[in-house]
Amino acid sequence: MSAPTKRPELVVDGFPPRRPRWAATATSADHKDVGRALIIASLGFLFVALVELLLMRLQLAIPENTFLDPVTFNRMLSLYGATAIFLFAIPLALGFFYYVAPLQIGARRTALPRLGQIGLWLYVAGATVLYAGLLFTPSEAGVNPLAPLSGLAFLPDNGVDAWAAATGLATLGFVLLAIDLVTTLRRRRAPGMAWRRMPVFSWAAAISSWLLLVIGPVMLAAIAMLLIDRNFEGIFFAGGAGGAPLLWQHLSWIFHTGAYMLVLIFALATIAEIVAALSRKPLFNRGATIGSLVAIAVIGTLAWMQNMLTAPIGIGWMYFAMVMSLALIVPFGLVLFNLIATLVGGTLRMRAPLLFAAGAIAMISIGLAAEISHSMVAVAWRLQHTVDSTAATHFVLVGGAVFGGFAALHWWFPKMTGRTMGESLARISFWTMALGTLLAFVPLLLAGGLEGQPVDAFEFFGSTGVDAYNLAASIGAFVLAAGIVLTVVNAILSREGGVPAGHDPWGGDSLEWFALSPPNRHNFDVLPDVRSARPLRDIRVAIGHRTGRATTPARESQPVA
Amino acid sequence: MDPHSSGTDQIDTLLWIGFVVAAIVIVAVNAGLIYALRRFRAERGAEPRQVTGGRRIQLRVGGALGVFAAAVLVLSLVYTEKAREAPASGPSGLQAAGSEPLKILATGQQWIWRYDYPNEAFSYYKLVVPVDTAVELDLVSTDVVHTWDVPELAGKRDAVPGKTNHVVFNADGEGTYAGQSATLSGQAYAAMRTEVEVVSPEEYETFVEQRKSDIEAAQDRVVGLIESGETP
Repeated sequence: MSAPTKRPELVVDGFPPRRPRWAATATSADHKDVGRALIIASLGFLFVALVELLLMRLQLAIPENTFLDPVTFNRMLSLYGATAIFLFAIPLALGFFYYVAPLQIGARRTALPRLGQIGLWLYVAGATVLYAGLLFTPSEAGVNPLAPLSGLAFLPDNGVDAWAAATGLATLGFVLLAIDLVTTLRRRRAPGMAWRRMPVFSWAAAISSWLLLVIGPVMLAAIAMLLIDRNFEGIFFAGGAGGAPLLWQHLSWIFHTGAYMLVLIFALATIAEIVAALSRKPLFNRGATIGSLVAIAVIGTLAWMQNMLTAPIGIGWMYFAMVMSLALIVPFGLVLFNLIATLVGGTLRMRAPLLFAAGAIAMISIGLAAEISHSMVAVAWRLQHTVDSTAATHFVLVGGAVFGGFAALHWWFPKMTGRTMGESLARISFWTMALGTLLAFVPLLLAGGLEGQPVDAFEFFGSTGVDAYNLAASIGAFVLAAGIVLTVVNAILSREGGVPAGHDPWGGDSLEWFALSPPNRHNFDVLPDVRSARPLRDIRVAIGHRTGRATTPARESQPVA
Repeated sequence: MDPHSSGTDQIDTLLWIGFVVAAIVIVAVNAGLIYALRRFRAERGAEPRQVTGGRRIQLRVGGALGVFAAAVLVLSLVYTEKAREAPASGPSGLQAAGSEPLKILATGQQWIWRYDYPNEAFSYYKLVVPVDTAVELDLVSTDVVHTWDVPELAGKRDAVPGKTNHVVFNADGEGTYAGQSATLSGQAYAAMRTEVEVVSPEEYETFVEQRKSDIEAAQDRVVGLIESGETP
């Protein structure tokens, strides 16, 4: 690729920096600096979460193991849940949204940059508070600390307080980032960048941000109540004393279900960008795909009681949750159909991002298929609270946040660093991860589905017939971790040593590929008039006509606005 | 595990329907994906077709997905309603049961289950019920959330403090059925198991009567020891 790295018309960089680079980055409110920091930090916490997962899987490799005692196991479980959700999956998605969406809509900066910067630092503060808990006693209340176990009477140490403060700070940060994204996407679009021409990934950024504006305050309210209960003699979640433990379940599941949908929306939109560009086709049924993402955000979050089908709630609520969950088959099915239909008739270049995108579709399909049976009320009475539900959740979130996140990483890495990630290491990493994910979570689907192995337990018993499943799952977790580490190593090596990428390594259609790699501080010196959903392709066609070397075949239809 | 009550029969049937539905979804998505990825490589030398989609195909696919979702919903509703049907006591069941189910209070506490029988006898860990008799467990908790789960006899339910949840089942054969708690409840959660022993109605009557007199004898002995000054 011999693209120019500098355009001559206007040069503003090259002045000596006023401050050292680390200080400039730490105090920068530029969306690229903030987004990159979010991505790097969340990949770091992916590594931490993996260590915690591997410790738990070591304990569960053989029956009645004594490697970890139950208290340590419960602490690992609690840290793992908070790390994987609040410090990895959500901030990774937000980091990519925050970096890429302003570029895609042709904005020179975000509308409220300081808000985004505060969001980043609240997230960092949350992470610090969570791990400061290791200095005393981390929470033992599990992934979602259900009341009343999270109450002062049962866990009097400050671990749950640290958990609540940490997730609260991070959630507040996400809400602030979402406010900036919503405002930017509304107010800072380039001339001609109508909503109907906006890239799917920017749509996903808008949908996810609106979703966070709804679910974030719900979680913040629940956390505030928990802190009041624990520290100021509140009774919000006290059973039979004027409060209700189920209130915590409702509020926290609204957030977690919404966050789950956010991760899926992020992954599906990333895949949409990749399959369209690497098959050199427009996304099949763009409008319906975007509409389906909106439906996933709304209907998906309304299905929060799908997590509570064994709780003492009325059968009517259970059927409501089931109808909402099963209704999701339509939008999810449409998006997956359109992603695959985009590949049909294209000219595929099987580069690393497409490989990870395909892996994400495969893993998400397994997880969502298992979720369908978990939504059937009577089946939920058998499968929920077993490791089957752990495995289903992991298929969706590993598929969405890890495979989807790595697809995004390989895809936008050239834009962020100016260099492409190593292709062969990416392939080795991908196949290792795919094998590891299947080996880690298919046996758990079976152990829960066939034998009913209960969730979150620090040990299992040899008499229950789940030995082989658990050993396989533990081996698979190590294989998965090895694959993940390979991609992180690849990213570190490629930052300096990767193949120089130029501004548009993939032949993309959206405006981020018009900026330099990495983009300069104000993103764009000049902006093209946006006249379709594929502005960069329009430019290529125009150049082809002007120079008499048509770069697109004559029989191709004109791009549709 | 084999179902041993009418309710778990229905759950089992729906579970297998769920497995089939999941298999259909997984195969359909991945077969389409793999076909498209293998068939349309750039190496085949064709030009990419710039199709942007179509309203008709989208409506058709959406409609097909809608029909699929509706079918799953109807099947789930039918089998869930069947699983919810209050089972009647059979001819070989407890005579006194009649049309009313035998009510037993099941209390979850860290980290054991306590069962209170109608005649004020109680037992820990092991629940004894008569065969072929409708049994209704009222699930309550004295501390944190516990989940009562004996998969061969009934669907699992949570015991939440301040609320009463219900499990109704009618065991169709004598035997011992294992269960475990299924919601993280603290340090000894993994060891919080339970067992249901299904016996003949006569054995059940003998068991609860014997248990009641044992408890009363123990109570009398404690009171006697305190009154005689042997124990403070």
